[in-house]
Amino acid sequence: MHHLRDVGILDANIRPPLGAASPDDKTGCGPPITARDEEGRTHSVADRKDQGDAATTRPRFAHESEAEFARLLDFYGIRWEYEPRSFPLQRDNQGRVVESFNPDFYLPEIDLYIELTTLKQSLVTKKNRKLRRLRELYPNIRVKIFYGRDYRSLLLKYGLAKAAARTPSV
Amino acid sequence: MALADDIARVLFTEAQIQDRIRAMAAQISRDYAATVPLLVSVLKGALYFMADLSRAITIPITIDFMAITSYGDETASTGAVRLIKDLDEKITGRHVLLVEDIIDTGLTADYLLRTLRARDPASLNICTLLDKAARRIVDTLPIQYRGFEVPDEFVVGYGLDHRQLYRNLPFIGVLKPEVITLNR
Repeated sequence: MHHLRDVGILDANIRPPLGAASPDDKTGCGPPITARDEEGRTHSVADRKDQGDAATTRPRFAHESEAEFARLLDFYGIRWEYEPRSFPLQRDNQGRVVESFNPDFYLPEIDLYIELTTLKQSLVTKKNRKLRRLRELYPNIRVKIFYGRDYRSLLLKYGLAKAAARTPSV
Repeated sequence: MALADDIARVLFTEAQIQDRIRAMAAQISRDYAATVPLLVSVLKGALYFMADLSRAITIPITIDFMAITSYGDETASTGAVRLIKDLDEKITGRHVLLVEDIIDTGLTADYLLRTLRARDPASLNICTLLDKAARRIVDTLPIQYRGFEVPDEFVVGYGLDHRQLYRNLPFIGVLKPEVITLNR
């Protein structure tokens, strides 16, 4: 059996109740910041017309790789939300959040967060540190991270060589 | 140039594949002994696996095939997966086994399961020759039978393709990286 880490995808495999503070939160970081309205609904992409393309109700993605990933999920009919929650990782003495982790996607039907990391290796190291912290603070949240190499091979699987070529193979 | 020249290394030989398929078929024959299961295969990748698996199963079965568009296909212009060949048989009340060549992200299998579940089969499970768990996105699939776990590399042969080539290789191997990006 190949361990996920051996092949480049880190499975935080954590699953806490959504929108609730982790009982294991010993650092005072508090509950995740969620984009919920007064009725407690999580905001979906469709609610974000002001942030993206109003004609298609798609959010303004930070990177083309995220837009491609959203198209892939759409193609197979998988519901997704774009950066719906922010998980505080560190607060200062006044309780202000000074570091947080915002996974790129949340797939509500399978209760899974996905982070695409198509960055240079130096930035991946920082991302890995934040992911480890996330796992410590929110041990029940399920997160998978796709590194550049993983995402590139995913694109190649679908014959998208040009898109893959734009993705660093770290 | 021979097709096999594009292979960096062989992951599973023809003999290893057939041994594993016989073991899987024996297990399926035991598990479904009291039924007449319907084996549903997805074209084209699972073609050879379906042929060998079904012939190694010793109980009565029926077989059927589906085909869907894939993300990135030139034909997939609608932005959503499309069924291009539906089943010929009705599956309501049947014990259905979805036969896949490989499951990696799980997106295709998840779509197929949703499509089949809507038709009320008596049971629905997955039999896959290869499992690339490292790349799984949908990790809730009912995979009952798996042949081999494979690393996150570009594998071809025994039905698996790259740009529709390499399917007819009798073994499963890793494609050379320099071949993958070639547009041919």
